[in-house]
Amino acid sequence: MFDLFLEQLPRFLTLENAGYLFWAMTRTLMMTVIGCGLGFLFGFVLVYLRTTPGWLFVPVRLFMISYVEFFRRVPFLVLLFLVLFVSKGLGQSYSLFTIACISIVIISTAFIGEIIRAGLESVHTTQWDTAMAMNFSRLQVLRHVVLPQAWKVIIPPAFAFFVVFIKDTALASQVGVMELTAVGKYFTNFGFSAILSFGSILILYFVLSYPLTRLGWWIEVRIKQSRAVEARLDAPTTTPYGLRTS
Amino acid sequence: MEYTFQWGEAFREFPYLMGGAWITLHLSFLGFWCGCTIGLFGAMAKSYGPKWLVNLVNVYVVFFTNTPGLVTAFFIFFGLPEFGIVLSPYKTMLLNIALNSGAYITEIMRGGFVSVRKMEMEAADSLGFSLMQSVRYVILPHIAKVLFAPLSNWYIWMILGTSAASILGVEELAGRAFNVASDTFRSIEIYIIVAFIYVAITILASALLAYIGRRVFRVKAKVF
Repeated sequence: MFDLFLEQLPRFLTLENAGYLFWAMTRTLMMTVIGCGLGFLFGFVLVYLRTTPGWLFVPVRLFMISYVEFFRRVPFLVLLFLVLFVSKGLGQSYSLFTIACISIVIISTAFIGEIIRAGLESVHTTQWDTAMAMNFSRLQVLRHVVLPQAWKVIIPPAFAFFVVFIKDTALASQVGVMELTAVGKYFTNFGFSAILSFGSILILYFVLSYPLTRLGWWIEVRIKQSRAVEARLDAPTTTPYGLRTS
Repeated sequence: MEYTFQWGEAFREFPYLMGGAWITLHLSFLGFWCGCTIGLFGAMAKSYGPKWLVNLVNVYVVFFTNTPGLVTAFFIFFGLPEFGIVLSPYKTMLLNIALNSGAYITEIMRGGFVSVRKMEMEAADSLGFSLMQSVRYVILPHIAKVLFAPLSNWYIWMILGTSAASILGVEELAGRAFNVASDTFRSIEIYIIVAFIYVAITILASALLAYIGRRVFRVKAKVF
């Protein structure tokens, strides 16, 4: 049963293959970091525009709400192909890596935007009113009053979303981006046993994701401790995969 | 660069795509209930089991929550034949979804188990309930209400996750989209339609779940 596996093991464990796998691992990580980092920024902009009062902003608000509701309900795989073909249709020749990054940004903006909104809503509205009464502009309120309190609610689920997305980027191999999963397929096509190639890919994803999961737990525990001191218990609860439960 | 949309050809395939949506729904439904079963027993083992069983369940949960579902699916689909076990794409994906969501649901359910007060379990013990009986009559009625919202969220998330099944060749919504796109070459139109179908079925599922939650469990669930 394991003879194929054992026969190929010495041929598989070369320095060249290890370097190749490491390169693919950094690509996977880079893709997620770029995508979710930009998604975090755009999420802030989206929430800011979505909460701007005034009838002039009604179309903007409607657009932002439908953006979030739409892209939270479209599978990453379908979005990847949509971005790929739309960019080709527009006559652009972006690299596949860029296309994967754009899709990640589009999806993570919607998800992280919701997380940020939940965080901002956890700060009581009287604080907005008070700061507004003291002639703060909206940006100043956000910067000096709301965000210092809200980031403790925002960071744990946003980080959890980032860790979940490391695993979801495996789908990007389907449009042809060279990352861990694609390298696994490459090794299988090269003739290595599927258990060997996909098994090592699984281990590498685990190595990438598990320390970050632990870091996320650590951050959450630290923040909970500091929150317990402040005795604020009305925060929305989050599940480990970054969706709101309440 | 100019691009002319041609919706006619894409819409002609609409019934075919909806057939795919049906496969998506029942694949995710079956996977969800298998995952719930695994999750219930996993959470039971984690809360009341002996030490070795707790460790075993922990290894299972940590492994599946930290590896991508797509790669475990590849592992099952291409790796198991080396041991002489050949599964069809649909069965592979069902097994994979069940194992993957079982791990996440174990964690979700354990949160519910923790929320049950210790005194109630002691009361059930003193009335001579076995573990299965106290789970059935004491814990489940409690956690059904607490866990309804996270589990229905998880189900929606799973509907989107089953699109990965298309990669193994299951002809569900995304898989049929690839078929139609390569037949008609109207890729952009097809993927836009498919995206809207996904949005529609998940909103329908959310609305249905919110209705069930309100009627059966008295949970205030939000559709949006």
